[in-house]
Amino acid sequence: MYAAWTTKHKPHSLTEVVGNNEAIQNLTDWVKSWDKSIPKKRAAFLYGPPGVGKTVCIEALAHDLGMELVEKNASDYRTADMVKRFAGLASQYRTLFSHKRMILLDELDGITGTADKGGVRAVIEVVKEAHCPVVLIANDVYNPRFATLRHYCLLIEFKKPTVLQVVKRLKEICRREGITAEEETLKFVAQRSGRDVRSAINDLQALAQGKKHLAYEDVSWLAERNRKEVIFNVLRTIFYSRDCTEAKRALDTADVDQDMLFQWIYENVPHQLTDPQDLAKAMDSLSLADLYRGRIRSSQNWSLLRYVLDFMTAGVAMARERTKPSGWVPFRFPERIRWLSRTKSERDMRSRIGMKIRRKCHVSSVVAVKEFLPYMKIIFESNAAMASGIAEWLGLDEDMVEYLAGGKRQAKAIMKTLG
Amino acid sequence: MVAYELWTEKYRPHNLGDMINQKEIVERLESFVVAKNVPHCIFAGPPGTGKTTAALCLAHDLYKEGWREHLMELNASDERGINVVRETVKTFARTRSIGEIPFKIMILDEADNMTRDAQQALRRTMERFTETCRFILIANYSGKIIEPIQSRCAPFRFTYLSRDDQDAYLRRIIEKENIQIEDKGLNAIFEVCGGDLRRAVNTLQAAASLGKNIDEETVYSVIGRANPVDVRDMIILAMKGDFIKAREKLREMIMKYGVAGIDIIRQIHIEIFRSGIPEKWKVKLADAIGEIDFRLIQGAEDEVQLSALLARLVEAGYEIQKGG
Repeated sequence: MYAAWTTKHKPHSLTEVVGNNEAIQNLTDWVKSWDKSIPKKRAAFLYGPPGVGKTVCIEALAHDLGMELVEKNASDYRTADMVKRFAGLASQYRTLFSHKRMILLDELDGITGTADKGGVRAVIEVVKEAHCPVVLIANDVYNPRFATLRHYCLLIEFKKPTVLQVVKRLKEICRREGITAEEETLKFVAQRSGRDVRSAINDLQALAQGKKHLAYEDVSWLAERNRKEVIFNVLRTIFYSRDCTEAKRALDTADVDQDMLFQWIYENVPHQLTDPQDLAKAMDSLSLADLYRGRIRSSQNWSLLRYVLDFMTAGVAMARERTKPSGWVPFRFPERIRWLSRTKSERDMRSRIGMKIRRKCHVSSVVAVKEFLPYMKIIFESNAAMASGIAEWLGLDEDMVEYLAGGKRQAKAIMKTLG
Repeated sequence: MVAYELWTEKYRPHNLGDMINQKEIVERLESFVVAKNVPHCIFAGPPGTGKTTAALCLAHDLYKEGWREHLMELNASDERGINVVRETVKTFARTRSIGEIPFKIMILDEADNMTRDAQQALRRTMERFTETCRFILIANYSGKIIEPIQSRCAPFRFTYLSRDDQDAYLRRIIEKENIQIEDKGLNAIFEVCGGDLRRAVNTLQAAASLGKNIDEETVYSVIGRANPVDVRDMIILAMKGDFIKAREKLREMIMKYGVAGIDIIRQIHIEIFRSGIPEKWKVKLADAIGEIDFRLIQGAEDEVQLSALLARLVEAGYEIQKGG
């Protein structure tokens, strides 16, 4: 069954909540003070960036203190009338079953109207008369709409947790899901999310669900995710511009890695330019761009970069002559990059074997992989005696033998002959 | 127990006299041995034609026992970059050799993969240390070696082996390894490997590992297994207009199976002429293939270059269908 990990692994107790120790302490003290008497501020206003655990924190606190939590969000108090409907709930501290009650008004940013009318005004009325703790949550407490409301509230700021705190939480989730992952990998996910715990957990799920191990290559392509919007804008200009200067300028407006952008354009050309002639022209431009990339690489003459950029922007833009605009075609993530990470372990293994061959056969490891490996695979798959001789001669380890043999059983037979 | 190793190495000739091909080159190299003097050399030519072997044999014949002490082998593909040339090469090149022959030999394999800067640095090193060290540069394309180096070297052009030479060499192995092979099997090896001896020997060994009489079927099945993705399928997809699927095939070849761009383009070239497309289109496409082949040498990513060619095939397929 698919369940969002943000729900599945939601902390039940405050001890599991990441970061914000001081805010949590203030909040707990205030809620507990209701046991003695009604405090001066009858509402607490929790504010801070998204995904730092404001709501989770209230839920966990209610759980820890054995309180009944009444949760309302934006859709419940769009108008004053709607607020009045649940206002009655706030008139009692102890419920019928002698639970203590707490009211949570979440997503207050979504409320309409100003301080003097509509929803906010009704909320103020509820707070003023409250006989149980009322907790308000919003991202931006200093929005003018909340100016009056603020007077009646204890303001508690939630800050972003540190990367390490986020990593700690991700680690715990990995442990529960039976996934192994290196610290570096999780750190990358945490950093990428901008220390937004919710989005980090969502990313983790998207990347790791169904896996036993989460490797760094699996996550590294995330690097560009935040840049997606920026990249999309550049792509839009390049694919739809009728003007060279405009297409070229698309690059200056956005701070994107040019190699990355090249991959995006290369991936999307056939999806955007479907007419065979346009396609051929655009791909020819990319081929020329690549030619200059190669020339830069071998000559280290970076002034040639301008031609790379010409061909990948203006060249592609000018290729559109016959493709009819067919509405909105979504941009796709460069498959090549996904391939690179998917095939990385195999390429690593091949190049390690290549290094072994290289030492014995007077070739580079690149040539070794290309010229020897395919034939060695056939030998290892079909002839254990010959394979074991070669394995010994090259000094291959068990993993290499298994890779070449294409399976554990054949690998065992080879290792047995090896003794 | 029979000692098994890779046959390309097991049967690599050790003396110039053992080499069965490149007769004129071998003769010139033998004259260097007699004179006990060697100029800087460039060995250029396609893979599997004996360039590295010739260099090793030359060193062996020149220094006899202990030849390894006077020789250094560097592979530019693995250790390219300017620092390697500066440091490793210089350290090796400047110390004088003890013995009858006053210079050492430095083999720089796959030298066409060196950056221009590294080649410039190498050029100065070659000049400064000519007294103590002679360089043999090995390359597929001598055109990728900078002019000033070319002009300082004696050029040697290696060519693909003839059918007779390949057979003579393979028969030596066949006899020693006691293999059963039919003439048709040998035919097939030559047809597929086209005078690339390294590939021929590897194919022979893989075929022999299957443990039965080798006929042409065996050879083709080995080749099929060694090159699991079919270039022809990719071409057909492109000509039918499915660029995206064709590009996926290409990606698989390059990334999953590590097939080199030049091998793919060579294959495309052969297949286009074998195919049933209108004759005049074969010529038009040869131009497109040639252009991309040229760009492959200087370009950065094989996949991008070959994709551009696939797009040309898509365009061609479309126009042929229209009756163009």
